[in-house]
Amino acid sequence: MQTCEPRETVGTDGSKERARVVVLGAGPAGMAAALRLAEAGLRALVLDQARAPGGQIYRDLDQPQLDAAVMGKDYHRGRALVGAFLDAARRGEIDYRPGTRVWWIEALDDALNDALNDGLNDAHRLGVRGHDGISRELVAERLIIATGAMERGWPFPGWQLPGVMQAGAAQILMKQGALLTEGPPVLAGNGPLLYLLAWQYLNAGCPPRMILDTAPNLGLARTLRHPLRAWRARGYLAKGARMLATLRRAGVPVVRGVQSLAAEGDQRLTGVRYRRRGDDQEHKLKTDWLLTHMGVVPEPQLPRGLGIEHRWQEAQQAFVPDRRDDLSVRPGVWLAGDGGGIGGAMNAEREGRLAALAVLDELMADLMDKPQDTTANAKGAAAPRPDADNRRAVARDSARESARAIARESAALRRRRRLDLSGRRLLDALFTPPADWVERQPGETLICRCEGVSQAQLKAALGAGPAGPNQLKAFTRCGMGPCQGRLCGTNVSRLMAREQGRDMDEVGYYRIRPPLTSITLGELALAPSDHLTTQSQ
Amino acid sequence: MFKRHERATATPEVTITIDGAPYQVPSTLSVAAAVLMHQGAAGYRRHAAGGHRAPLCMMGVCHDCLITIDDAPNRQGCLVTVEQGMRVRRQLDEAAATATRWDTANHASGDEQRGRDDADL
Repeated sequence: MQTCEPRETVGTDGSKERARVVVLGAGPAGMAAALRLAEAGLRALVLDQARAPGGQIYRDLDQPQLDAAVMGKDYHRGRALVGAFLDAARRGEIDYRPGTRVWWIEALDDALNDALNDGLNDAHRLGVRGHDGISRELVAERLIIATGAMERGWPFPGWQLPGVMQAGAAQILMKQGALLTEGPPVLAGNGPLLYLLAWQYLNAGCPPRMILDTAPNLGLARTLRHPLRAWRARGYLAKGARMLATLRRAGVPVVRGVQSLAAEGDQRLTGVRYRRRGDDQEHKLKTDWLLTHMGVVPEPQLPRGLGIEHRWQEAQQAFVPDRRDDLSVRPGVWLAGDGGGIGGAMNAEREGRLAALAVLDELMADLMDKPQDTTANAKGAAAPRPDADNRRAVARDSARESARAIARESAALRRRRRLDLSGRRLLDALFTPPADWVERQPGETLICRCEGVSQAQLKAALGAGPAGPNQLKAFTRCGMGPCQGRLCGTNVSRLMAREQGRDMDEVGYYRIRPPLTSITLGELALAPSDHLTTQSQ
Repeated sequence: MFKRHERATATPEVTITIDGAPYQVPSTLSVAAAVLMHQGAAGYRRHAAGGHRAPLCMMGVCHDCLITIDDAPNRQGCLVTVEQGMRVRRQLDEAAATATRWDTANHASGDEQRGRDDADL
């Protein structure tokens, strides 16, 4: 491939930089995409907020803190991918920039695109806060979004108390520094990550005090309803069964059918209250640590910031971006990995490669197009020399051969992806969070942690008949805090849908505007001035 | 508090201060992880409404890890890796808790946000 370098490089004065392919996120999808592009000689610019590549699932594998005996083989499996990515970056085949954050993204309109991009293709402008804290603007000709998933915001009374954390946070502390809670934690919720964390804590010699499982007891019935899916998901199911058996043997109590949960304490957690289905008695438990999990959902900020349409997926109980078969979400933009719908790390890797192949396919098509509109012929000028014609034909043939190879590789990846995802849909069914959880909570439960807005306040404001989540936000400040609605957004839509008897797609979600990540006014002031102009228009 | 597992991989350490007191921590930790390790979750930060908060997600989503790093307030402690000599200060007084709200550019509409910033300046 020719011109593989960005055509312009960094302007240290804060001027524009442009790149042919930008990958957002260095988790399994982002790493796989950049590696596949590097294989084809295309140097992608990879922006990631973390210190080291890996995303959340493979984080800190450049310096693993605990071995596979504690963390499990699935985590350490990521070492190969992280290692290959870092090697390629060291060789200069990937332009990897850790510690960077994209806080602003915009698709250029046609006129602006023609002026800035010679009309080559749709381009996107990004505001990037560098490791040095200075913001710069970046023009991306093609963009692969691989920003992954986050844990679902799951409110219950007292979830804002210090001592309550998400299970993923506890796992991040293990990966980052082999850190474990002092004293055994109580785990609550549902989903594969909850049991994985319990198993990892057990392996580390700190068995959890108790697991409070909130799943409705439909597991087995649902599994039997989909025998083919069960077969395809057998790997996941067997792994889960082994973990559960190990936890049982170790005597970790698992309480099933938990219907309500509350954290108690003044300035920190001191205990947990819970109630089981069909049991009037409330149980109390003293604990310093409550680790909760209710599944993961696509991280919404970047796709929403770019105006990508989302649809409510009942099975995943989440808004999921609309993607085409080739994973594209608009011209020049692809969305790979869990950010496009939860499929897990292996699927994310596959999707990363698929997105890279789609980019390569487009570039190949450009190459094949070029010889056909030879300007010399069009103008009827001197007849082209036979040897030049021949060279062009050879280049065209080789581009066609490459395009065919890309098509074959994509087809194989798509087949495996389809099978894997079909099995995974069974996990969705097994671990569906209770759809009425939010509205069932006592009125004082905080829905918006940032602005301290309770469920009762929201219900009262809903009585005033707001048209949508944005108006409700204006009424209550719910979703206006620094987390930018990421922990409350879906819950607010859900409350609204229930109270007003509308469906989730009709209710929709907050309108996401820049800054997409929190950035201080000081940092904003350091940004090159022309985006501020654009923003105020 | 969080304890480091005895079978943890040997990792280079750096010295940081938390509210003026020096601590040695593994160089792979985020600032939030270092504070959880040595100070625990209680008293991590004060919320504008008065109650105490501590990190929920550790991956840049919840913003309950906001903390002052080398005199810069409201940094997301979970996204900043510790460095030798780093000065970390928990935001526990009322002024700091209130400032959290205004200093972080958020979703308020432009006019509303500007009004508040002016009031704060």
